[in-house]
Amino acid sequence: MNILLAILFVLFPSDDNIKIKDAWMRPSSEKMATALYFVIENKSETADTLFQVDSDLAERVEIHETYSEGEMMGMRKVDIIVIEGQSSFELKPGAHHIMVMKLKKNINDGDKGEFVLHFKRAGEIKITATAKKPK
Amino acid sequence: MTKLILIALFIFVLISLSCKEELPLNKDLTKKSYNLINQEGEDVIFPDIIKGQITVMGFIYTHCPDICPMTTHNMYLTQKKLKEDEIDDVKFVALSFDPDRDSPEVLKKFAEIRELDFNSWTLLTGERTTVHELLKRFDVKAIKTDESVDEEGNSEYSMMHTDRISLIDENGRLRKNYKGSTINIEELVKDIKALKD
Repeated sequence: MNILLAILFVLFPSDDNIKIKDAWMRPSSEKMATALYFVIENKSETADTLFQVDSDLAERVEIHETYSEGEMMGMRKVDIIVIEGQSSFELKPGAHHIMVMKLKKNINDGDKGEFVLHFKRAGEIKITATAKKPK
Repeated sequence: MTKLILIALFIFVLISLSCKEELPLNKDLTKKSYNLINQEGEDVIFPDIIKGQITVMGFIYTHCPDICPMTTHNMYLTQKKLKEDEIDDVKFVALSFDPDRDSPEVLKKFAEIRELDFNSWTLLTGERTTVHELLKRFDVKAIKTDESVDEEGNSEYSMMHTDRISLIDENGRLRKNYKGSTINIEELVKDIKALKD
C-alpha cells in the first residue's frame, strides 16, 4: 500500500506546499528579452528545487541571477533555485529572475503571460504573470 | 572685525566643500565630438545634442532584461518627479554599449514600449569604435559574456557592464555618477535642482 502511495505521489505530486505569489514581468518588445519575478513560498518541512521554467511566450526561458563585481554588473544562468523548508524565496529585480528570451510578441503594460514552473517535489505549477512597470 | 571676517571665510569654505561633495566631478565633455545615430536613424553629434541643457545620461543595452530596464526606469521616474516639481527642461539620453545589436529601430521599440517621451529623450547608438571611445570618456566598461551562436547563426551574448547614470551640467561638464539600477532618485533630483540654482 505504501509503495502504491509513493508511486502515486511521484506520478501526481501535490503542489499544495509550494505557493507562488506576486508574479509580474517587465513590458518588453518582440524578439527582445524580459524578466519574470515572483515569490516562492515553501510551506512544507522539506526543501524543494525549481529547476526549469517554460512558456509559449518566448523561444527560451532560463533561470538567471544578477551579480556584481565592483562597479560592474552582469547576469548568468543558474541551474536551480533551492527553497528551504518553511521559507520563501523572492525572485526580484537585481537578483534572481527568470530570463525570458526572444519574445514571440510585444508585452505591453497590463498584458498577461502564462508560465509553467517545474519543481523536483511539487512538480509542475502553472502561473500567470502580469506585465507592469515597477513603481 | 578680523574675527567676523574669519568666521565668514570659514562658512564660505564649508559651503564650498559641501557643494563639491554633492557634485564631486567637473569633467569637460565638450573637448571632443562623437558622431552617433539617434533612435530615428538620424546622424547626431554628442555633445552638441545636449548643449545648454542639464542632462541625465544612462548606459544600457536593450537585450538586458534586468539591470538596464531598472536604469531606464529610474531615469523615467526621475523625469516624472521633475515634472511634478514643474521642471521640464532636463534632457535624458541613453547610450547603448551594444551597437552591434542596438540599431535605431531596436532602440525606438525599446523606448516606445516604455513610453519614453522623444521630446526630451534621445537614445544613441553608432559605429562600434565611436561608441567605445565615448564610453571611455565616461569610464564605462562593457564586456560580452556567455557568447554563443543560435540555430540561425546569430550571435547571442549577455554583457557585463558598469551600472551607471551620469549627471551632466548645462556647460557639458560631467558632474556626478550614480549606480544606475539602484540610484536614489531623490538624490539625483536634488542634484539637478542644485545645478539649476
